[in-house]
Amino acid sequence: MSEKDKKGSKSENIGITEKEISRRKILQGMGAVAGTAALSLHAPYIHAKQKEIRFLNGEPSVQSVRAMRFAAAQYEKETGIKVQMDTVPAGKAFEKVQTSIKGGRPYDIATLIFVGDVLLLAGENKLVPLNDIIKKYDWGPNILFPMDGNNYWYPYDYNLCWINYRMDLYEKAGLKEPQTWDQLNENMTALMGDGENKTKQGIVHPIASSGATNYTSFGYLWANGVSLLDDDWNVVLDDEKNLGRTVEYLEHFQSMVPMMPPGLAKAGWGILVGGIQNGQLSHCPGTGRLIDVINVKNSELASNLGIFPFPSPDGSNVALNHGYDGWVVLDTAMSDEALRFMEWFSDEHLINFLHTSPVHYQPTRMDIYEDARWLSHPDIEKFSHITSWQKRFLTDENVIIKSIDTEGPYPDMRAGKIFRSYALPEMLQNKVLKGMPADECVKIAADKMREVIAG
Amino acid sequence: MRGDRSLYILFFLGCALTGVLILYPAYYAVQLSFFDADSFISTPVWVGLENYKTVLADSEFWSALIRGIIFAGTAICLQILLGIGFALILDSAIPGKIILRGITVLPYLLPTVVVALIFQWMLDDHIGILTVLLENLGFEEAATWANSPFWSMVLVIFVSVWLWTPFVTVCFLAGLQSVPEEMYEAARVDGANAWQRFWHITLPQLRPVLLVVVLLRAIWMFNKFDIVWLLTGGGPMHGTEHLPILAYRKAFDAFDVGIGATISTISFLILTIAILLFFWRFPIDERK
Amino acid sequence: MKKTSTRIGIGIIVALMVTYSFFPVYWMLISGLREYESLFSSISLVPGPFSTASYTQLLELTDYPTWFLNSVVVATGTVLITLVLAIPISYAVTRLEIRFKGAIVGTMLYAYMFPPMLLAIPLYSIFVDIGISDTLLSLCISHTTISLPLGVWLLWGFFKQLPFDVEEAAMVDGCTRLKAFFYVVLPLSLPGIVTVAIFSFLLSWTDYTFALVMIGSDSLKTLPAGLDTISGWYELQWGELMAGSTLIALPLLVLFLFLSRYFIHGLASGALKG
Repeated sequence: MSEKDKKGSKSENIGITEKEISRRKILQGMGAVAGTAALSLHAPYIHAKQKEIRFLNGEPSVQSVRAMRFAAAQYEKETGIKVQMDTVPAGKAFEKVQTSIKGGRPYDIATLIFVGDVLLLAGENKLVPLNDIIKKYDWGPNILFPMDGNNYWYPYDYNLCWINYRMDLYEKAGLKEPQTWDQLNENMTALMGDGENKTKQGIVHPIASSGATNYTSFGYLWANGVSLLDDDWNVVLDDEKNLGRTVEYLEHFQSMVPMMPPGLAKAGWGILVGGIQNGQLSHCPGTGRLIDVINVKNSELASNLGIFPFPSPDGSNVALNHGYDGWVVLDTAMSDEALRFMEWFSDEHLINFLHTSPVHYQPTRMDIYEDARWLSHPDIEKFSHITSWQKRFLTDENVIIKSIDTEGPYPDMRAGKIFRSYALPEMLQNKVLKGMPADECVKIAADKMREVIAG
Repeated sequence: MRGDRSLYILFFLGCALTGVLILYPAYYAVQLSFFDADSFISTPVWVGLENYKTVLADSEFWSALIRGIIFAGTAICLQILLGIGFALILDSAIPGKIILRGITVLPYLLPTVVVALIFQWMLDDHIGILTVLLENLGFEEAATWANSPFWSMVLVIFVSVWLWTPFVTVCFLAGLQSVPEEMYEAARVDGANAWQRFWHITLPQLRPVLLVVVLLRAIWMFNKFDIVWLLTGGGPMHGTEHLPILAYRKAFDAFDVGIGATISTISFLILTIAILLFFWRFPIDERK
Repeated sequence: MKKTSTRIGIGIIVALMVTYSFFPVYWMLISGLREYESLFSSISLVPGPFSTASYTQLLELTDYPTWFLNSVVVATGTVLITLVLAIPISYAVTRLEIRFKGAIVGTMLYAYMFPPMLLAIPLYSIFVDIGISDTLLSLCISHTTISLPLGVWLLWGFFKQLPFDVEEAAMVDGCTRLKAFFYVVLPLSLPGIVTVAIFSFLLSWTDYTFALVMIGSDSLKTLPAGLDTISGWYELQWGELMAGSTLIALPLLVLFLFLSRYFIHGLASGALKG
């Protein structure tokens, strides 16, 4: 309203100001600035009169933003309370939350993607417990992260990372889903080449010091039964049990490198999507996001994508890399209203939101898997071969679901510090780029983790 | 004089605003370095000079400092050399001077994020035009620059030079206009060739400009964050990590805001000392 | 009389200069106008077929027009505030008897010595305290902190070389200092003022760090922040990103075309004497 008026008059002044700068215009400009200042000083006062909940959304894709805005509009219609939706890329959300708190205008609800960030805020008493809402539902494994018996966050999806593959190419070559590391390599080799139904490379696993690497490159490590920490928060990556297995993992990774595209050190999410989309790769790690995105531009290719979890050397285990997103309610003047909104959203609109990226937003609440509303989406039906896997992952005890930031006996910031120290990606870099001996790489990584935890 | 008062008022208003807007944040940044804090909203714990001891003892800091000096130093040298070269060419009698001048200044007008995107696109693994070019010319290692700390540094320096040389070019070009033609005439009569004229007349005449330009570029390049972050994120393997990036990582990744602020403050002190030394060694007559 | 070989030599150098400076820009323009399929499968220096699909995708899926308008508002505001502050400060520094002139100008350099991110956060809390956080005005002021030092520096040099006699003559004729300033000094220093205006516009238009911190609402985002948001999208690819980049760069190029004379002249004078 007032914003639009301001912009209108400004556009007219712009034309004149640029062309003839003179004393008169400078004074006029000063007047305009003063006027703008007066207007914007008013703006917060105007807003203060209407009740408003500020929501920091971390899903910037078009459909998701639309769903959130739609929910906000609905809520305002029903209750008269405005819900202001701001959107940032998920990775920037925590920065924004910090800035907003520090600046004295904290968000009322915010998206967070690391349990470490939730812990930090909870530890500083910035969050409001959500126990009442959480109690209402049946949740999947390893997703709630309670602290001191309280639940401070509402997880809205699993983003499990698995390996995607071209089902059509497998069929044409008569291949079966690999159960062991050797089988995976064999399949990739069989599909590599220049002809039709062949791909240029087999797979890509980033090794840069980034979140993408942390999520997509260590599934094999988990499948091999490795743990980073013991129950007393000691780093055990290089102890008797784990050292050998980690070395095996590194050697396996090295064996896959010839089948990967060059430029691993800068590979990010874009290369994963691009590689599969252009038919350059026969496999690639990823979450459901990959499939949802490809489905938009190339529906046929998407239906040719299948998934399997990360195999282990001998086929005895499978693993997935853990991923998740959720919302927290901050301790502000509008906390009560925010809680009410969360409950309303949780009942009425969560499924709409989940549908905006149907394979990627894997439900965290077990009731949704039976909910007719969720099941009736055409893409859920189309990708039922994947969504049935997804439910199995949560209920099958033989599936290992692990991630760097959830290691340790209980949720704690130390795991988050290890995540962001990028000690494990550096381990990969040392092996692949510097060619250092595997056990040395492991020892360096373990020492770095110890350093980071101690600090 | 009557009008003086309104002028004084405006002046002090300006200074006051500047003081609040520039000095307060700087003060905040410095005082944060004396605390230990996990994030900007954590309750800070006073640790005095502990952070400074930790940072100065950390080899990561010194490596980043050296990389920063290499990055800034190389970039500045190239910017100056290239800038002077372009200015000389633009000053000589060539057709289409005005258009050429415009084209030369073009890179400076582009936002950093745009330039980072363009270069990433040109260096895309599969179909980046520069990648293909490098491969065809046999520079395999350069084509896969992302795997090599050396080539990543080269890239970052190259893009910085591309972006900011025009600043030098323009300053020099203008400076060249002010050198009196008579001096060149006299030198020609004495038999001096082009190179000697340049070295003994142009450069000394342009000394003030040169000093100012070097100073400004030094401050900016040493603190440059955007372009390095957007192109390489400090990698690979810390290969392009200089002080601004290290500070950022500490503050936002490692949950250590106090250390991040400490690194920034130390960086600021280093710059200040360097500038003071610079002025002491190369006094600019008209300043202060 | 230039020899032919020198001519050719110069020609080659000029060609290299043009290619070096212009090629990335050319590539950006071309890539935004290519068809989706061919963008990813073929490379050629003059690629076709052309299509505006990237632009339509971009404008459809994103709030680009809003971001554009916001950037214009903020940049213009920055220019105005910078001029309003820089002109009196640098004029006073050169004309009035004020102690510690050098220190004042030197202090302004301090803004450049700290990483913007570290300065942005306390600035943001100041804005919250006076009630203008998350407004375009707060962004204008933030940008002014960066453009002001340079503006003062440039104008200082400019005013210094303006001989005092002209003002004196006007004041002898009965003008107050203020009038002399407005009617005599300002018109004479127009090139310098335009230079500062262009610089401030540039700095504001291209800023990313402050935009990220100061602005939260989607409707107030500026172009760099918007571009950053969408560069993480999987729905958009290089074609759209190049189209978006072109749109950001375009106003600057247009501006420069019209005002390049002032820019180069003013920058030079400021740097020379400053």
